[in-house]
Amino acid sequence: MTGEFIAFMVLALVAIMGGVLLLNFKNIIHSVVALVFTFLSLAGIYVLLSAEFVAVVQVLVYAGSITIILLFGIMMTKHKATHTEPKSTWKKILALLGVLGFAAAFYLGIYNLDFGAEQVPLHANNTEQIGIALYSKYIIPFELTSVVLLVALIGAIVLARKDDNKEADDK
Amino acid sequence: MMMQELLASQPGPVNFLIFFIQAVALLLIVLGFVTYVILAERKVLGFMQSRYGPNRVGGRLGLLQTFADILKLLVKEDTIPDKADKKLFILAPGFAIVPAVMVLAVLPFTEHFHFADIGIGLLYYFGIAGITTLGLLLGGWASNNKYSLLGGARAAAQMVSYEIPLVMSVLGIVLLTGSMNLIDIVEAQEKVWFVFTQPIAFIVFSIAAYAELNRVPFDLPESENELVAGFQTEYGGFRWAMFYLAEYIYAFAMSALAVVLFFGGWQPLFPFLDFIPGAVWFGLKFAILVFGLSWVRATWPRVRPDHLMEFAWKVLLPVALANIFLTAIAKELIQLF
Repeated sequence: MTGEFIAFMVLALVAIMGGVLLLNFKNIIHSVVALVFTFLSLAGIYVLLSAEFVAVVQVLVYAGSITIILLFGIMMTKHKATHTEPKSTWKKILALLGVLGFAAAFYLGIYNLDFGAEQVPLHANNTEQIGIALYSKYIIPFELTSVVLLVALIGAIVLARKDDNKEADDK
Repeated sequence: MMMQELLASQPGPVNFLIFFIQAVALLLIVLGFVTYVILAERKVLGFMQSRYGPNRVGGRLGLLQTFADILKLLVKEDTIPDKADKKLFILAPGFAIVPAVMVLAVLPFTEHFHFADIGIGLLYYFGIAGITTLGLLLGGWASNNKYSLLGGARAAAQMVSYEIPLVMSVLGIVLLTGSMNLIDIVEAQEKVWFVFTQPIAFIVFSIAAYAELNRVPFDLPESENELVAGFQTEYGGFRWAMFYLAEYIYAFAMSALAVVLFFGGWQPLFPFLDFIPGAVWFGLKFAILVFGLSWVRATWPRVRPDHLMEFAWKVLLPVALANIFLTAIAKELIQLF
């Protein structure tokens, strides 16, 4: 049993527990806090995989900003946290089948995954390697992603503006 | 390069023990810094406002004043409001202080005294520091008090907004150095400090840093004459001390980061002065920046909330982006000739 294995087990356990608690907490703010622990332990797993840049970006974007946006969304909007169990048995069975199918697909996908045996020193100049790959080999997907993000941003502004006008009209 | 060898050596019990002792030493240094910077700040404020400041406990200079305050905080009754969300109320100060201590790991104080030599040191600092915002927001929410919630929401909005120009402003330095390793950044400033080659970045960085630290003129999350004490209204005793400590540890870390990024870290002012050890140089530059924190606090009025957000998004961010653009062009031109 190596130190890496122990670290992985601890981080994986925290990540899964965070996910389970996220679903089980009745209070939605508590759910978000559970999600933070999942995000942070995933960052830890990235560090174990020598992907330090991805790990820090995970903390910066997910554990920091996304969580804050989620909390703001929850706190700034009025809502009653009502919890309703799905009533019909058929729905429950279908949900179970969906979960099992998803699990099977993921299991097979990960089990048969083959990255090739070439050894790359990932931890050396990690950021530089990612930058070179992004801006030479994967430049078109990278640019496309930024266009999609821009569209989402403008879409959000347009939607928010519409609400503003309506409120002004109401007054 | 004793520390460097240790960082590269095989992990083991001896190695762990050495690092543990050094980390405890650093923690004691930081706590000592916080104790005396609070006193120094009160003295400087007193001087600038033509009064004495603390002068009763520990002689005419009030040298034991902060210790007395800490003792008072430790023996205070621990109160949790009846309607508060108890678990989050207890957890929130932890969310605030743990990242504050974690960011200290990547700061290179001198050539020999640094705890980590990682390629993404700069990004690590900003990434980890972002989690503190969560502590302030949760603390404000869990208190179940309108002033706390307003303060927490203000803290989160302000810190998320100002984090962006803060990170963007230092990208110019990353472009010039070609590395995000803080040790490489210090070594790249052997001839010229980045404060001279990146003046716009320094101005943006210092404004955004004051906002990140929630200090005057950006202390809206705890503005006492409108929000009682903001997100910390319901906190008292030791739990409140954790928030306060986190704030001052960040003041320490941010000043140290500014020295590393813009003032050449442990490098001397002129090459012929290099007989003075690096630690002294670092301490001198650091002390001047920390004095600046108190100076600004005594002389600036608070920013209005509606100006605050506009300033971050409409002024600081475009200026920071323009700085990256200019730096990239300048770098290309220099390489051309």
